[in-house]
Amino acid sequence: MSFFLPVLLRNLLKGPSTEAFPFGEAITPKKLRARISFDPDSCALCRVCARICPAGAIQFEKKPDGLEFNLWHNACVFCGLCALYCESEGLHSTNDWHLSHLQSEKYDLVERATVKFQKCTKCGKQKMPAPLPLMAKLYPGLPADEIERLRAMCPQCRKAETAPAEGEPS
Amino acid sequence: MSTYKIPVGPLHVALEEPMYFKVEVEGETVTGLDIQAGHVHRGIEYLVAKRNIHQNIVLTERICSLCSNSHPFSYCMALERIGGIIVPERVEYLRVVADEIKRIASHLFNVAITAHLVGFDTLFMQVMETREIMQDTKETIFGNRMDLGANRIGGVRYDLDGEGKAYLAAQLARMKAPLDEFRDLYETNGSFLRRTKGVGVLPRADAIRLGLVGPVARASGVDYDVRRKAPYVVYDRLDFDVQTLADGDVWSRTMIRLREVKESVRIIEQCLRDIPEGPISIDAIPEIPAGEAIAKSEAPRGELIYYLRTDGSDKPARLKWRVPSYNNWKGLQVMMAGCKVADIALIVGSIDPCISCTER
Repeated sequence: MSFFLPVLLRNLLKGPSTEAFPFGEAITPKKLRARISFDPDSCALCRVCARICPAGAIQFEKKPDGLEFNLWHNACVFCGLCALYCESEGLHSTNDWHLSHLQSEKYDLVERATVKFQKCTKCGKQKMPAPLPLMAKLYPGLPADEIERLRAMCPQCRKAETAPAEGEPS
Repeated sequence: MSTYKIPVGPLHVALEEPMYFKVEVEGETVTGLDIQAGHVHRGIEYLVAKRNIHQNIVLTERICSLCSNSHPFSYCMALERIGGIIVPERVEYLRVVADEIKRIASHLFNVAITAHLVGFDTLFMQVMETREIMQDTKETIFGNRMDLGANRIGGVRYDLDGEGKAYLAAQLARMKAPLDEFRDLYETNGSFLRRTKGVGVLPRADAIRLGLVGPVARASGVDYDVRRKAPYVVYDRLDFDVQTLADGDVWSRTMIRLREVKESVRIIEQCLRDIPEGPISIDAIPEIPAGEAIAKSEAPRGELIYYLRTDGSDKPARLKWRVPSYNNWKGLQVMMAGCKVADIALIVGSIDPCISCTER
């Protein structure tokens, strides 16, 4: 009894400890793992995400000019592995958990974008994109315009460009 | 008096998990018990062999909700043993923090359910409200209320900066006063004691004979805790007491869990004090060679054993685990002999059974 009297008093003064949602805000921590966001400009088409996704929620589909990225939110288990292993920072875990939708909209809940193949500015061959965050990791310390120039090239031309000249210390 | 059989379950025996009990009764007294399992078998041991080692961290995490950190934790330890990976010291501390937070939430859940099963729902709600402090902590630090996603091969996926440490310490401090109040209440409340003292007794000899583990065994006086007997990560450097009680009844099992919550709070506080600076993961995504390994850990329900065999590919050749609940089910036959029908749910709840673990 002596335990519950103060509890009773506290509850009367403080009101319910449950959240008032949907009539009030629900507390959402910054780090909450919820909806995954995809940025096609930062995708290198390495497809690690599709390989790592335990739920099979990520699929790539061939298109004439590139690959279409599909992430099915209704299949996603919010583990965040894709964002963890995405070296080019194209995938992020957001704390947006508002995913309720009508049954009729269930096939629309997809994160979808086509990542286009590019043409190498040096040899003209078709190549995979080299996003900025990835290139910045590969070539730390290079000036921004030099990174921009290199990332417009295919890996072979890039290697030739960045290889030290004969006799020069690497 | 006539003897007849009553079915208990498969739904809503103590928790909302399915297990079917065929109970033989004479009047109101239980004389025999037959347990039928298999209602939530999902074939996870087969599924893990079809997924790669990274995907399996997520899959093993979803075997069970309350011990969802112990599974990927043990799985990662087994993988690291095969790969000869030495994890940074900071990782070991962070893994302990994650595991102990889960233990607090799991134990408090069972302590609350016990109050609910004796019909003391006011207490049930108070304990659940206190448990909510840990749920909020998990959501804030890890990003999910149940599946922490704390582990990766060779490291962890979360870090505690100064702000995170201060937040965690403050949340733990908030738990202390209610925990002491609950201890007094569970120790002295007449109606709780009348329903739980001397009910579902498991003598020490039976606990050893049946190979029981975890809080169930410790409540019967078996001093066995993997964290002490076969220390992994940094448990050998942490100061904590293995709780034991002698009676082996429902009350003892509840009290063991309540006391272990306090020990877990102590362990996390020591981790926050001692945690060294450093990386939270090894640098590269490791390749795991062919080999086999066993990893053990103390899950909230007791000793969890993982056996892993790899063949050099990125999928496990065999992954097998023995969960603590598997052993503990056997104890019910001893506990329930001679008990009243009204105590069946309470006794089932007191072994803190995890059916989705057992049947995976």
